[in-house]
Amino acid sequence: MKQRTKSIAFIAALLAGLAVHGRAFAALTTPQMVDLLKIVDDRQKNNGDWRASAYLEQKEKDKVDVVYETEYYRRSSDQKFMILFLKPKSSAGQGYLRIDKNLWFYDPSVGKWERRTERERIGGTNSRRSDFDESRLAEEYDPTDEGEEKLGAYTAHKLLLKGKSGIDLAFPMIRIWIDKDSKNVLKRQEYALSGRLLRTSYYPKWKKVHSESKGGDVWYPEEIRFYDEVEKANQTLVMIKAVDLKALPANLFTKAWLESKSR
Amino acid sequence: MSKLFVDLAIAWRSLVQHRRRTLFLGSAIAAVTALLVLLTGLSTGVRETMIDTATTLSTGHVNVGGFFKVTAGQAAPVVTDYKRAIEVAKKTVPEMAFVVHRGRGWAKIVSDTGSMQMGITGIDVTSEPKFASVLQLVSGRLDDLAQPGTILIFDNQAEKLGVKVGDAVTISAPTTRGTNNTVDVRIVAIAHSLGLLSTWNSFIPIDTLRKLYQFNQDSTGVVQIMLERKDLDHIPQISARLRNALEQAGWRMMAPDPRAFWMKFQSVSREDWTGQKLDVTSWEDEISFMTWTLKALQGMSFVLIAILIAIIIIGIMNTMWIAIRERTREIGTLRAIGMHRREVLWMFLLESIMLGLFATVAGVTMGAAIATGLNALHVHVPVGLQFFLMSPFLHISVHVSALVWSVVGITLVTTVAALYPSSRAARLRPVVAMSHFG
Repeated sequence: MKQRTKSIAFIAALLAGLAVHGRAFAALTTPQMVDLLKIVDDRQKNNGDWRASAYLEQKEKDKVDVVYETEYYRRSSDQKFMILFLKPKSSAGQGYLRIDKNLWFYDPSVGKWERRTERERIGGTNSRRSDFDESRLAEEYDPTDEGEEKLGAYTAHKLLLKGKSGIDLAFPMIRIWIDKDSKNVLKRQEYALSGRLLRTSYYPKWKKVHSESKGGDVWYPEEIRFYDEVEKANQTLVMIKAVDLKALPANLFTKAWLESKSR
Repeated sequence: MSKLFVDLAIAWRSLVQHRRRTLFLGSAIAAVTALLVLLTGLSTGVRETMIDTATTLSTGHVNVGGFFKVTAGQAAPVVTDYKRAIEVAKKTVPEMAFVVHRGRGWAKIVSDTGSMQMGITGIDVTSEPKFASVLQLVSGRLDDLAQPGTILIFDNQAEKLGVKVGDAVTISAPTTRGTNNTVDVRIVAIAHSLGLLSTWNSFIPIDTLRKLYQFNQDSTGVVQIMLERKDLDHIPQISARLRNALEQAGWRMMAPDPRAFWMKFQSVSREDWTGQKLDVTSWEDEISFMTWTLKALQGMSFVLIAILIAIIIIGIMNTMWIAIRERTREIGTLRAIGMHRREVLWMFLLESIMLGLFATVAGVTMGAAIATGLNALHVHVPVGLQFFLMSPFLHISVHVSALVWSVVGITLVTTVAALYPSSRAARLRPVVAMSHFG
């Protein structure tokens, strides 16, 4: 009798433990994950025009560090995007223009346009075009929950995102850590379809600006650190400054406008 | 007839009587024959591998290619309205086993760790009957190449680019209008290197190639016509017939030029015409830059065979001289009892024919057995040699006709070699021969 009571007590304790464990790591359902991604996207959405300066510091093994000064522009309504290099002198006038989901690169030294893909390393750094654009995670990826994880003082939702077919993406697979409280992205690991880790990104500073067109705040990462996981010694630091949400000229997102900047 | 049997019996007894000499010479002839079989088998094997690999990777037996020029100075390897060209080819070439069309291009492949320039061939893998049989995959699935935005590369390229199946690479190439375009593709298969032709070649779905070069659905790079092996000797006639038919169907044709299409870019770009011109080439034209390897191998085999045959001739003559010297008194006796000179000559020739026949039959059997064994063992050839052999394995192709030719050829050589000593024996005077000591 005593033995039986002991067994029941053990099973009850085990079940109680499992219940506590289950509550601590309760998996998000797919709609919950999509909603979470929508929140992440929405916080960064402007619903208007965007202009900002971005400084890209590129560190490569056995090479001198290079700092690029750029200005980038985007328009939410038709997903247009442009980035113009201002410094150093050797890169001044170069730029990327995204129209009709095509990314074009212009080099004033040869005066030619080249069509590039979303995998393009912006200016040869470890950044991609999508790093500067509005977040579209819910639209472009299917999420899988990987539980919660502590990142320093932050508790984060950890999701594995797999790219939807037919969409041109810089990375087909992303593991993302989203701050449970603020819903800001804290860290990303980007993979190839083979499972090879290509890049790790950290988002240590988030800022917000008030947007008239949105009628609310727009959040943006003031600092992003990219670590190349293939060429381990390479890294890129991106600093985003002087965000301006005023309407941009209608003719700005054209090849002619970008070409005119190097004349 | 009975006389022939008697002659054969005498020849046989003589061979048996001089067992050691017969065995020694017979073994030498058999070894040389086996070596001949292996050498010709290797040469044939390389040729067949080269044809099979080349006609799978980069060319048909007969090709309808050509160039499209937007401006006089810019040439692209494009065949517009290719479906009509296929129809003409089907009517004109009844020897056709099957026909495929492929896109041609040259592009920069960029991975996360490196880049390299290489040829890109646009294919529809579902309509390529021989493709799977030639390639040996290291990893991935060939069927996945049917999906858009994919690529098949070879292991040496994968190593250089630092990629594996599932990784993405970017292909960058200038379009016919001179604008650089790029597409991202996913590696779905990595194949074993097939030597020279696979070093600079990769395969993508033809629609991806069209997207890269901004071609429409009616354009391709080349129409490749495959023939049965028995018709390969008639390629010049088939090409001429096809050229006439295409000309009559309204196409402008390029002058025959036995070079690979990529070697013609400079000369075509210099010519003052625009629009489409077609070019009919053979598989040998398209791999003309590498047939020297085959010619070198054939040349080397020829020299080796010549040396071996010289050894046989010297050996046979020497042995016959010894035999005649040993049997001079016997010859004298035979002549004295009424044997004619012609019969003496015939007796010695029959001996060498018999020896040659038995030894060569043993030699070809041995050679064929060694070749079969080596093929079954799938002997890996060194990487440097793979480059020229276009196969990771040693392939010795022994045909029955080659065996028959070896038997007939070497027996003939032994007979010819025995002719002079035999005629000298026949010319001996009976008195001199009978008084011979030694």
